[in-house]
Amino acid sequence: MGIETTDDERGLSEAGVPPVRRIVVDGETPPVRVAHRIGNGASPGLDEPFAVEQDFEAVWVEERMRIESLGVRFGQKEAVKDVSLQVNSGEVLALIGPSGCGKTTLLRSLNKLVDLTPTAIRSGRILLDDEDTAYMDDTLLRKKVGMLFQQPNPFPMTIFDNVAYGLRERGSKRPGKKALEPIVVDALERAGLWDEVSDNLNHPALSLSGGQQQRLCIARSLAVRPEVLLLDEPCSALDPISTAIIEDTIVNLKDEIAIVIVTHNLQQAERIADKVAFMYLGDLVEYGPATQVFNAPMAERTKDYVRGDFG
Amino acid sequence: MPSLTLEATGIPEEVEAGDPTNRRVELMLGALASAVLLFIAGMIIFTLIKAWPSFANNGLAWFGAGGNVDQQLSDIFNSPADPADYVYELRAWPLIWSTILISGLSVVFATFIAVFSSIFIVHFAPTALQKLIEPVVKYLAAVPSVVYGLIGILVIVPWINNNLITEQMRASVAYVIQLDGSSVMAATMILTVMILPIMIALIVDSLRAVPLNWREGALALGVNKWRAVRTVSVRAIRPAIVAAAVLATARALGEAIMLAMVAGSIGFAPNPFDGILFLFEPSRPLAPSILDGEEGLSVVPFGETMYAFGFILIVSCVFFSFSGWAIRQSLSRYGIGAR
Ligand SMILES: Nc1ncnc2c1ncn2[C@@H]1O[C@H](COP(=O)(O)OP(=O)(O)OP(=O)(O)O)[C@@H](O)[C@H]1O
Ligand SMILES: [Mg+2]
Repeated sequence: MGIETTDDERGLSEAGVPPVRRIVVDGETPPVRVAHRIGNGASPGLDEPFAVEQDFEAVWVEERMRIESLGVRFGQKEAVKDVSLQVNSGEVLALIGPSGCGKTTLLRSLNKLVDLTPTAIRSGRILLDDEDTAYMDDTLLRKKVGMLFQQPNPFPMTIFDNVAYGLRERGSKRPGKKALEPIVVDALERAGLWDEVSDNLNHPALSLSGGQQQRLCIARSLAVRPEVLLLDEPCSALDPISTAIIEDTIVNLKDEIAIVIVTHNLQQAERIADKVAFMYLGDLVEYGPATQVFNAPMAERTKDYVRGDFG
Repeated sequence: MPSLTLEATGIPEEVEAGDPTNRRVELMLGALASAVLLFIAGMIIFTLIKAWPSFANNGLAWFGAGGNVDQQLSDIFNSPADPADYVYELRAWPLIWSTILISGLSVVFATFIAVFSSIFIVHFAPTALQKLIEPVVKYLAAVPSVVYGLIGILVIVPWINNNLITEQMRASVAYVIQLDGSSVMAATMILTVMILPIMIALIVDSLRAVPLNWREGALALGVNKWRAVRTVSVRAIRPAIVAAAVLATARALGEAIMLAMVAGSIGFAPNPFDGILFLFEPSRPLAPSILDGEEGLSVVPFGETMYAFGFILIVSCVFFSFSGWAIRQSLSRYGIGAR
């Protein structure tokens, strides 16, 4: 897969029109997508044209998933009500909100893991690359939309087998160890764990520390090359140093992968998020660029929550 | 109302490090465990001493084949009264082979069936069915073996005799043995059913104990449910499967009544070279041999021979327990708390 920038990009950009890029997959050209370029941390609004003269570290922002009036009920209990959101690659989207407001439920809807709960009833649409996930095979969807859980959950196998797991068990053919090795190494490197485990790939994964286990789980997800990565409070059980390493990892990944992270740690959201969605009792109260949600929130509830005087 | 202090309730405020109660409990439990171990060791040694004349008179040939084992047993039973003339000659291979064959086949079949049905019960059956199957299966574990024997002798044995054994089969082995339905097959079928419930109960419980976390982790990687269960849950409970198989082996080795009823009660070694036919040949494992020899126990050399059978059974059970333990150790290498 290669990325090609069209010739007319510069011309269009100078005219104040967002640039266009084509993704070439094995020679085929899928429909052109409109992308937006945003600055280094300071995110202008989605539809704002940007100034070319500014010295940007350019990041492509492109819609990956679209959530259209999603509702989730567990029996009588409405956990998520009419939420519409967009998940873009090149960005980190943080979901914040008080406990029980439906963040995990929303996240688990994105890879249809919530459907495993017998009482769950889901309404609305979730699109992945303009395709309705309702009609996608669960396994196919989950290959594209990876997920990291609140508690690190490495399998009771070696470190190597953990990272290779998804590649080995997802298809009908099990690739050999030789073929897997470069992928495993690459995934561990991208998860920022390689230096610590390169000598003991055959050690049990459960002998790693909590922070290492969580990064191993990141590597395990990355090995299957997801387009979107969902993280449910990935740092809640970790010390500040492990947290910092994982935050670094996340920021480094966002160029290639759309990232959605649930967090109770507002400082963390401020540090890594480009977009923030604030939920309250199942409602999406506010959704916008991180700077705006944190510095100039529009809703009263958001204001209270981000200032910490939440009841 | 005065606040309730710990003092008032009589609960000690804090437990001291060297609490004498702790110490006492430790000692008591330790003593109990040692007593159990001593008892088992004592039983093994006692059995060996009692069995010794039988082993000593035959040497390693005891375990070998040769002659008609039923004839030998009857000669031992009819030993002259003078201890100097006691008859001990025995070639026990047909009985040992029958034990290995019937227990081994049953445990192998039962392990497969138990694993798959446990997976079905825990992960694929509708909740209503789950709620029905589980207690039923656990109850089956409590059915007395004589009932299984009865069903075997009244239903399974005639069924095999009438439907599976052809006249050619009967004719082809008529010069050594008569086929009447009492067979390795009947014994294996019923023994499999008998040891299944306990295995399913154990495996179902351990499958339930596999953290949901692990399965969700696998599903979230785009692995389908069956694969996730097989490669994560079943992998994780391999130690429990081994434990269940060991328990089932012990149960199978010790089963006497049902096997005495359906296996054929003939000291014949079914011959795998007879092809599929060997499944229809009768035999008699060690445990039912002891049961059958019950009325001869007062004849000293015969009793000693029975002790020898018992000794083999005890030692096999101990051996399987230890190998099961060793296998579990190596299998749980990657489990929780691994280092
Ligand atoms: N399996 C379930 N069955 C019934 N109700 C559920 C289930 N899972 C979640 N809920 C309910 O849905 C609501 C949202 O839960 P959710 O786990 O999404 O909250 P959350 O925002 O992730 O909370 P936290 O920050 O504490 O993790 C809660 O009120 C919860 O009780
Ligand atoms: Mg949650």
